Order: sequence, then structure tokens, then C-alpha cells
Amino acid sequence: MAAWLLALLGLAISACAKSSTGNSVLVLLEPSLDKANFSTFFNGLTESGYELTFRAPRDAKPAVIEDDVAQFSHVVVFAPDTKSFAQDVTPQSLVSLLSKGTNLLLALSPKKQTIVNSLAAEFSLILPPPGTPLISHFPERDTPATVIPVKPTENPIVPTKGLLPVWFSGVPFAYSPNPLLVPILNAPSESFAADSTTDSGAEGIVEAADKGGEGLWAGSQLALVAGFQAHGDTRVLWAGGVDMFSDEFAQKESAKGQQSGNAQFVRDAAAWAFRESKVLRIDSVAHHRVNETEPRETYTTNDHVVFNTHISMFNPKTSVWEPYSGISDLQLEFTMLDPHIRTSLPPVPSNPGEYEVTFRVPDRHGVFKFIIDYKRKG
Amino acid sequence: MGLLSFCLLSLLAIAGVDAAQLSLQSPRFTISSGDASQLRSEPISLKQRPEPLKLAPTDVLKLSFQVVEKDGEKGVQPHQTFLRFFDAVSGEEGIQPVRVSSSGKAKFELNMAKPPGSIPPTTAENPLNVSLLLGSFEHSPARYELFDLFLPASQSAPPHELEHTFHPQPLIHHTFRPEQKVPPRIISAAGAILVLAPWVVLVGFLAHIKPSVPQLLSINIFPFIATLGASEALLFWYWVDLKLGDVLLYGGVLALFTAAAGKKALATKGDLRVGRK
Repeated sequence: MAAWLLALLGLAISACAKSSTGNSVLVLLEPSLDKANFSTFFNGLTESGYELTFRAPRDAKPAVIEDDVAQFSHVVVFAPDTKSFAQDVTPQSLVSLLSKGTNLLLALSPKKQTIVNSLAAEFSLILPPPGTPLISHFPERDTPATVIPVKPTENPIVPTKGLLPVWFSGVPFAYSPNPLLVPILNAPSESFAADSTTDSGAEGIVEAADKGGEGLWAGSQLALVAGFQAHGDTRVLWAGGVDMFSDEFAQKESAKGQQSGNAQFVRDAAAWAFRESKVLRIDSVAHHRVNETEPRETYTTNDHVVFNTHISMFNPKTSVWEPYSGISDLQLEFTMLDPHIRTSLPPVPSNPGEYEVTFRVPDRHGVFKFIIDYKRKG
Repeated sequence: MGLLSFCLLSLLAIAGVDAAQLSLQSPRFTISSGDASQLRSEPISLKQRPEPLKLAPTDVLKLSFQVVEKDGEKGVQPHQTFLRFFDAVSGEEGIQPVRVSSSGKAKFELNMAKPPGSIPPTTAENPLNVSLLLGSFEHSPARYELFDLFLPASQSAPPHELEHTFHPQPLIHHTFRPEQKVPPRIISAAGAILVLAPWVVLVGFLAHIKPSVPQLLSINIFPFIATLGASEALLFWYWVDLKLGDVLLYGGVLALFTAAAGKKALATKGDLRVGRK
């Protein structure tokens, strides 16, 4: 799950876009990939209100950053065969995009060591060597071993209720523990990464595992799609391959007579990455003494102080920030160097979006801060 | 990823759809202790799971079987021969590949003195479900549930240093100092009387000796009395509000006046004593 990071003051963001942070999307699409084969995904974004700009990875224009200003709210990189990008797309520039508030949707390459693959290590992802795609012989089916139906796994980002299996073809990745990284789709337990295409490759798999360390990428502890929420609240969606976004996989049957869950899954995952869903904002904070209404410049020891805050959640359907009272585990800290008081900040049932608590100021003199630090995966 | 590059795989996979199934022949496990004495050795029935296996920290589990085609007796080497260790409670899973010879014979050894890194974290209460996954480009895949395995509990992996901030944190209550205790009113009143008693005595004495200061309000002496009063007022002001710098400034100026007025007053008093006036 990704994190909801709330600073003391939420950013006031224009509410005219589909996303909570803007609707311009740059798609770095490799020329060898047919744009028409991704029409379900791209048209879905356009219909939601996004303005898509397409660019080949080696084209110089439009630049992702100009005059130190990010030119797009979201950047999609679908370039599994491109080793060298134009000068403005480097691992460093992608990271600096994150600090400038741009969200990223990155598809890894199962074949080559691209800049996206090299960037993955910085986000706690551990990739198998290039050229070792995910293989599964289970269940018995008429597709290649590298085209795998994956049952969606419970995760805090993409709702899985009623979601049909998702076709996947690409590279799996292990990950080191990092609370900012949230796996969205795990590999099936029978699957593994291998470069062999015949049964005689069995020796190689055992030998790779014997090497120790990350010798064998196998099992459901691997992820195929993961979300990462950076400290500046920007989000990165890592996908093990571009094919899961394609029309071909979206229309492929994953259960008898039923289309796969791909179209729904990738749209929901993109909605999270583009900060449509699961976005919270603190609208205001206020504090005053009990039986008063105005805040004081100073409070003295043992005063009974009321602290309240108003929190909204972005509704992508209406592009409106709506009061949100659904947080049951919000906490308030009253801190001088260390928190002296940490108390729960419960919602006020009569007032949507309002959270309030009354507490007694500690009998210690000093400069205290009111702190709400609410981080959760998702 | 372009699918064309995998057309070879595709063809092979399609060819394998109707292929023969894989089966296990004479699967057997043996548990021996650290000093090589055999503790348990049984064939594995693929229909009924044996009693759960338990391994001590120095025990060795050996597993042997042969992979054959279901119809024939021909041994095969499948692409994928994995042992899957799964903890159903924690959801942790470990995959260990097994080396199979070209005749389909396989031996696997799990030495608890040197457990492989693929074994998931274990607890003493929950067993690991051990299953065998057989996958092949040429044969239908097969999956066999072998047995439940109790392993010695492993140390839990240390969580990420920031992990705790992503969960509700323990509440912190401030321990307030106890309220100040006020003594009973009678004791306070007695204390007040005790403190004020010398002043009563002093006032009594003053009334008795009736001191007279006839020149107090004379034009030469009163300024000195007034400046002394102003100094007292300044100290009171310092106590209430003023900063030290202000007090020193005002006090310095006032001291000059006080000194001049004092000199004048003393001279006048002296003159009065010697009867010059």
C-alpha cells in the first residue's frame, strides 16, 4: 500500500482536473509498440479527462522538465526495448520529477537492462537478470508459459472484489522491506523467472538457486506490480511488463466466456498512481481553550485545549474534495523535542470531515507543536 | 514485451496441452539426527498425508523420488521441480528447486544445521505445508501435497526502521505533578499571625515613644524623602514589569537626584542641630 502522508497543512490544489494534481500526461511510447494495441488503457484515461501527449523515448521534445519546471503532471514510460533515451530522460531526471510533484507509471523490461530497470533498485525492487521473464506451467493452458493468468491478491490500492484474473507477461521482482513500497499484484506461487525455453533448462534453474542470495526468483513472495509513494506524496507505479496494459490482454479470456480483469486492474492502478484515489488533504487546523473560540498565542500549563482539524478526500468522479470522516486511527501529538502527549483524534460524528480532541497541556514550560503525522500504506 | 519473441515457447506450450501427466514414483522421506542415526523413514503416500514431520535443530531430512510419465514408467526431467514450503498462517512461502537427473531421479536434503535461505520464517506452533510442483514444457503440470513439516522456530526478520510509523503508535499520557497541597486554614491563619506579630509589637513601641519629625515636610528635606519613595516605587515596578536595563537606567538617574537631595537635607538637618537657623 502506499502511504497517505499528511503534513500539518495540506496543499491547496486545483480541483478542475480528473486527478487531484493535474491532468497532463506524457506517454513515452516506444515506436515498436503499436499505440492502437493500448487503446483501451489510453482511451480510458482520455475519457476520464486526461490530456495525453505521446513521444518516442528518443525524441527531444516535449521535454519532461523545462527551466527546472516539470511540464507534465504524470509520466508513463512504456519502452521495454529502449536502452538509451533522449537526454532529458535519465534515472536522475525521473527521480527529480518525483520531487517536482510528477507521478510516474513505469513498465520494466524483461529483456534488457533499461534505465527504468536500473532505477528500480533505488525503489527497493530487486530484479532478476535481464532476459529472465516470469514463467508458469500452471495452470495447463493454451498460451505460452510466459503469458500467465494471475489471480489478484488482496492489497490496499486496487480493489479486488469481483476482479477476474489478470493476464501478465513480463518480469517479476523481489523487494526489500520498505513501508513506502506496496505490492499490488503478487506472482502465482507456482511461477518463477527463468531464461530457458525447454525442459533441459532445469539444470540452469537449480544452479542459479545454488548460487545463494537472490539466485532464484520464484513464488508468491515476488511482486508483478507495486506502488511506491515518495516522501513528497508523489506516486510511482512499477509494472513488470507493458503487455498487461494492452488490448490483447484486456480482451483475452481469463475465465470461460469472460474477459480478463486487465482493463479494470490497470485503470484502477493508474488511478492510484495519478493520485485520483486514496488522496487525503488537511483543509484546516484550529485550537483554542475549552469554553473559548479564539486561539491563544500561548497556552499555559494545565490548560484544557481543544484541537480540531478538517480532512477531505478527493472524489475523482466529481473532481471535488469531500469531507472525509473515515479515519478511525488518526493521532495527535503534542511535541516538544519528543511527543509529550499522543492521543487519538477521533472524528466528530455530527460534523463530516471534522476530527476533534480535548487534552490537558502538560505541566512543562516550552515551545510545543501540534503534529498530525498520519501515514498508512495505500 | 513483444509476444513474437516467445512464439517458440508458445508452440511448445501448445504442444504440451494434451501431453502426458507427470507422476511420482517411490517418494520417500528419511529423518536422521545429527549423529547420523535414523529416526524415521517412510514412503510418502500421495493420497494421504503422513503424520506431520518434526525436525530438531540438528536433524537432516532426506527426500527421494523419481519423476515419471503417468502412463509409462519412463523417467523424465521436468523443467520445474520445486518444493514449496508454505506457512498458511503467516502466508510466508519459500521455494526450493530440486535437482533431477535425466532419468527423473531426485534427491533432496534439508540439513537444519545449515538451512537454505529459501525456507520461510518459521514458528514452533505452525507447520509448513510442503508440496512438490512439477512443471514442464512437454508435460501437463502436476502438484503434489507431500506432508506438513514442523521446523525449529526461526528468528523473526527485523522490520524496516520506519515500519512502525505506518501503524497506530502507542498512546502517550503525560504524568502530571500532583496538585500542590494547601495546609488547613487554621494552620495558615496561625502562621500569618506569627509572621505579623513582630509588626504589632513594632507599631506598639512606635505609639509608645511617639517619634516626631517636625521638619519632614520642610522644603529642603521633603525632596529627599520623595526620591527615596520613588526608588522604592521603581523597585516595585521592576518586580512587576520592568527589565533590568530599564531599572539601572532609571535608578541611575534617580540616584543622582537622591544624592543631591540627600546632601541638601543632611546639610539642613545639621544646620538645625547646631542652631544656625
